[in-house]
Parts: sequence; structure tokens; C-alpha cells
Amino acid sequence: MINREVAWRMFAEEFNRSTLETGGTEERSPSYVVTPLGAKVNRVYIVGVLTETENIGTPAEPMWRARVTDPTGTYFVSAGQYQPRVATALANLEPPTFVAVVGKANTYRPDEETILVNLRGELIKEVSEEQRDYWILESAKSLKRRLEAVSEAANMEEVSIDEMIDIGYDGDLADGIKKAMDHYGSPSFEKYWRMIEDSLRYILPEYEGTVEESEDKGEGDEEIEDEILRVIEELEDMAEHENGVEYEKVMNKVMDSENIGQDKFEEAVNSLRSSGKVYEPVLGNLKIIA
Amino acid sequence: MNEKDELAPHIEDITRALNEKVSKEQIEEELHNYIDVYGVPLGTAKRAIVKKHEGDPQKLFNSTEKKIEGITGDERSLNLKARIVSINDKEIEVENEAKTIQYGILGDETGTVPFTAWEKLPIDIEKGDTVGLQNAYANTWNDEPQVNIGTKSTVKHLDEDDVPKFESEVQPCELKDIREGMRNLSITGRLLSVEKKTVNTKNGEKDLYSGVIADETGKAQFSAWHDFGLDTDDVIRVEGGYVRSWRGVPQLSFDDKADVEFLDDDVVPKAEDLKEINILSISELAKRGGAVDAVIDAVMIDIKSGSGLIFRCPECSRVIQKGACRVHGKVDGEPDLRIKGILDDGTGALTVIANRELTEEVLGYDMEKAMDIARDNMNQDVIKDEIEEKLIAQPMKTTGNVTSDDYGLMLIANDLSTKTVDVEEEARKLLDEVRV
Repeated sequence: MINREVAWRMFAEEFNRSTLETGGTEERSPSYVVTPLGAKVNRVYIVGVLTETENIGTPAEPMWRARVTDPTGTYFVSAGQYQPRVATALANLEPPTFVAVVGKANTYRPDEETILVNLRGELIKEVSEEQRDYWILESAKSLKRRLEAVSEAANMEEVSIDEMIDIGYDGDLADGIKKAMDHYGSPSFEKYWRMIEDSLRYILPEYEGTVEESEDKGEGDEEIEDEILRVIEELEDMAEHENGVEYEKVMNKVMDSENIGQDKFEEAVNSLRSSGKVYEPVLGNLKIIA
Repeated sequence: MNEKDELAPHIEDITRALNEKVSKEQIEEELHNYIDVYGVPLGTAKRAIVKKHEGDPQKLFNSTEKKIEGITGDERSLNLKARIVSINDKEIEVENEAKTIQYGILGDETGTVPFTAWEKLPIDIEKGDTVGLQNAYANTWNDEPQVNIGTKSTVKHLDEDDVPKFESEVQPCELKDIREGMRNLSITGRLLSVEKKTVNTKNGEKDLYSGVIADETGKAQFSAWHDFGLDTDDVIRVEGGYVRSWRGVPQLSFDDKADVEFLDDDVVPKAEDLKEINILSISELAKRGGAVDAVIDAVMIDIKSGSGLIFRCPECSRVIQKGACRVHGKVDGEPDLRIKGILDDGTGALTVIANRELTEEVLGYDMEKAMDIARDNMNQDVIKDEIEEKLIAQPMKTTGNVTSDDYGLMLIANDLSTKTVDVEEEARKLLDEVRV
């Protein structure tokens, strides 16, 4: 029996952090992006704010790029001539607006070591704020389930798929979690638990305006931000970089020089982005806003 | 296992066939000689050794005692110690003469197997008795082994201790756990509906009592091939039921071999409380292969082509394209409304089909109006567009029977409505849980 691939409810942050791909073993079996929490994702269902649309193709052969943000980050959605339904819709949608998107997880490799992910749109539709709120609730629930499963796995001496199944987890998730732990190591549980809390507060009126504050930066963060800006400049100086410099390269350098983890680095980049100091001229590249 | 262990039961066979006239050591040496030195097949070697010592090779065959699990269905002579799980009489006609045979189920600690005694047994046997069978034989029926007790077989009573106690002879099972191929189940449930049908079988017309049975864990279609006097809302325990599946959905079947006991009404929740029990995740449905009267909470994430206003062939009801039926060519299509959508709950996805009536409810107008709108726009796709607008990204509560085939799960909707959720309330609850 061929079951249609499930559409995962998943926040952008977890999805975008994925750098592992796994193919099925059988012929014509689909490929999956494995997230740091072990979800094997072929398709996602997201509801967020459409913030930007751009046709980087031609009117005859369009290639639409769009950004859809949720409380944790931004999904990058593309639609070309083989996704006419989505391409046509993107041509007619006026950001900002709430949209629901069904998309296939897609990976691309800007260079040998780097894997980046985005979505190839299957369907996009303008929706209401209520539908967006419901999606946040579903995504928070889904994240909680995965987080609990990964916590169980992290407590094992060695992650065992059989043991995971014994304690009631689905075999596919158990397999994904094993792959994720081998590839990414143990995730930052605290960060993901906080992500659930923050996203739920986001839809509750009594917390309005408090969500940003709860992400108050520590003392060291400005130092990291300065270092990021310095590294980007340094890399830009080294060669022609009209489209900015690769995210991964900046990350590796800064993580080395500041002796910090990926979490801290990404937090700092997000902060730079939201304060308008850097942007991504193309997906996966960083550039300083002059 | 070393070679010596493998040969041990055969050495036993030969020793027994020779009434222990010859020592095991000698037989072992001879058997080893035949097999390893001369490469003679095992069966031939055993025969030859028995003959050589002037024994009767026929005795080799009735010497094996087996556990039920080991019965393959081609045993010509079979000795068995077992418990009678069930036993029934049946009148059959052989060469125009009425004759009583007995049939039922035998069990031991390794499993159960159906049996038939082709002659009325010389001793009285009851359910629960422990018996020793000699010289029975096995064959297969419907790919399942079954034991036959013929004129050459003997049956005697044994002590209860001769067969170890095994897990209750019928397996109690909840309806959510039934799977194709299970047999000898004990199911307790309430009959939500019972309907008498007459069906044609290989053995002529038969009465079938079918309907839906429910317990606290789920619902299933049932088929009773015997008139047990079942009625809607009865609470029953079926012992000796088996599971067949229809389009991927497991169903409970039972016949005159089963015991049906009518129980007190309060053993199973009331019918109205059982209605909502079948709220299932789609991944759970995929595991089961389908369900009766399932309730699905999921978001509509796509509306497929062939939804909205469609035209059907008047001959065969197939949906026609551009005025032509795949089979009957150019026809005058009859209009219909339907929805073919994809429901996804984050654990899995399935195709949902809604009929004209439900589609009219979604649209908020009837088919006549849909025809008018299509004519005004000179395009029948506008109806599908409207369904997409109304349903995509919408959380839905859908009820219906779910079946599965090569293309996955399909839900035929009896009811399809948009779900209202108090998102804030649920978000607060979840927030409380994760903050601990």
C-alpha cells in the first residue's frame, strides 16, 4: 500500500536547521530531510505570514521565490513552471498576508559540504489569522511529541530503534531520531522547549508584546554580532561577493573564534537580521546592509 | 544445534518402531553410516534400518507425537495430546444417509487447530477435556492445517496435567486490536446494528447476520453465519470468533462453532457513548488498514480534480471527460456533485470522498444552483474553486468508513463538517504542561 506522505506541522527553525538527507532504500521511494529532532520530512504544511515574493525567472518561465514566516523563523518557498498552481497564486498574492502552504522538502548544495533546505510549493492559499493560530497550536503539539521522543532516546546509552518501539514510539520516528542523533548529536532541549512556550504565548492575548522581551539578549551577544559583521566583511574582501558570503562559512569561522555553539550563532544572526544590519540577498548567503 | 541433536528424534523413531529391540547407540551408528558415509536421504535411511532389523517401517509413521504448532498439514499419522477447546455435532449426508460428525478446536500450549471426527467418537468428549489422539491425520483447508480423526484413529481421555495449562484457550481481544488472520478470539461488545441477509455461498444460500459491534476501544463490522438470535443493542461475548478483512478493514466473523453468550447491559458502555469512541489518528488507521465509523480530526490540505460539478455516464456512472465516457463513448452526462480531498492530521494522510448531499452542504446551495453558476461562468471548474476556497486549510471533523487498497487509505464520508477549536484554551493548557 502506498500511503500519501504526511504533511508535517513544523516550525521553520527546526526545518531550516536540517542538514541531513536520507533516501528510501526501495526504488522510487521518496527522499526525506531529517531534522535535528528526527522527523523524516518529505512534505510540510505551514501557515504563516507571506512577507516577500519575487519572480527570479522570466514572465514566460517564472521561478517564484517567497518567504513565509512563523514565530520561529522563515520558510523559503519556491515555485517554477512545474508548480503552475503555486506560481500563479504567488504572482497574485500581495504580502503581507496570512497563507497556508503545502510544500515538498527540497535540498540543495551550494558547495560540497553544505546542504540547505527549502520548500517546493504544492499549494498556497490565503487564510485567516484563526487558521494560522490553529497551525501554531498543532505545530507546538507536534514539536512536543518529538522532543519527548528525543529525550527518551538521549537517555539511552545507545539509541536503539527496537527500544524506542518497545516504549511505544513509531518505527519511522525511532529511525529518524537515531539518524538525527548520529548526525547532529543531542539537540539543545532547552531551546526547543522555549520555542514551544514562546510560540504558544504568541497566540495568547495575555502575553501580547512580551514574546520579544523574553528573548532579551545577554551581555556577550553583542560581541558575537560584532564578530559576525567582521567575518562577513573579511570574507567579502577576499573575493567578489555580490550576493554576500555563505552562511556556513561565516558560521564556522565565528563558532571557532568565539568558541560558541550553532544556537548562539544563529541567535545572533537573527538579531542582526531583525535589526536590519544583515540580510540574505540569496538563500543561504549573508550580506551586510550598507 | 549439532548434528547429533538433529538426529536424536529420528533415532527415537527407529528405536520405537523396533520396539526397543536394538540399542540406541547401534541405531545412531547405523543412521550416521547411511547418511554421512553413503549419502542416503534420511527417510530412506530410517526405512532401511527398520527393515534390516525385521521391523515394520509403517510404524515409523505413527510414532511421532507433535505439538499443535508443528502440524504442517501433511501428516499421515499423527499422535497428539490436546485439550478440547470446542466440540460440536453436525449432521451431514453421505450417500443419501444421514450421519453425525463432530468438529471443533484442539489446543495445547503451542496453539490451536481445528479438527473433525468423521465418525461419532466412541467415547464422550466434552469441551475442556484433555485427550490423547493416536493415528489421526492432518490436511489443509483454506491454507490452514486441520486434524482429522478417522476410523483408524483412537481417542482416549488423559489427565488434565498431561497437557500444560495454556493461556486461556480463547484469546480475549479488544476491537482495536483485531487483525486479519486472527482466530479463536473472545470479543465482548455491544451490537450497534444487526441485519439479516441471504447470501449465496458454495454450499447454496445461507443466512448471514451482519452489522456493527463496538467496545470501548473501537468498532468493527461483524458477520455471524448462524442464527444466534442477535438483536440490535444486545451485549454479547463471542468465543471462537475469527478475523477476515474486506478492502483492508478487519472484520469479526463467527459461525456455529463459536459460543455466543448474552451479557448484562452494563458490561459495555451505552450505544450513544460508543458513537464517538472511534476518533483515530490517520497513522493508527494506516496500521489497522481501515475502520468502521471512524471519526477523523484533520486539516483539508488539498482538493483533487474531479471535485465540484461533474458529469457521469448514464450507463456506468463513471465520471466522463469532455462529454465522453471511457467505456461508452459519447453520452449525455448526468450532473453530480462531489468532493475528493486530502485530509492530513500530521500523522498521516488519506483521501476523503463526499457525496452530492454533503457537497451541497459545503457549498450552501443545491445542484440546480451549481449548474446555473457553472453556466453563467461558462465553466464548471468554478464550483471546485469555491470548494477549495471554503475547505483548504480548514480543520475538519469527518466521519465515515475507511478502507484501504494499493493507493492508500480512503474515507467515504457520512458526515463532513468544519471543526471549531478554542485555540486559546488549548494553547493555555499546553503552555501549562510544558512549563512544569
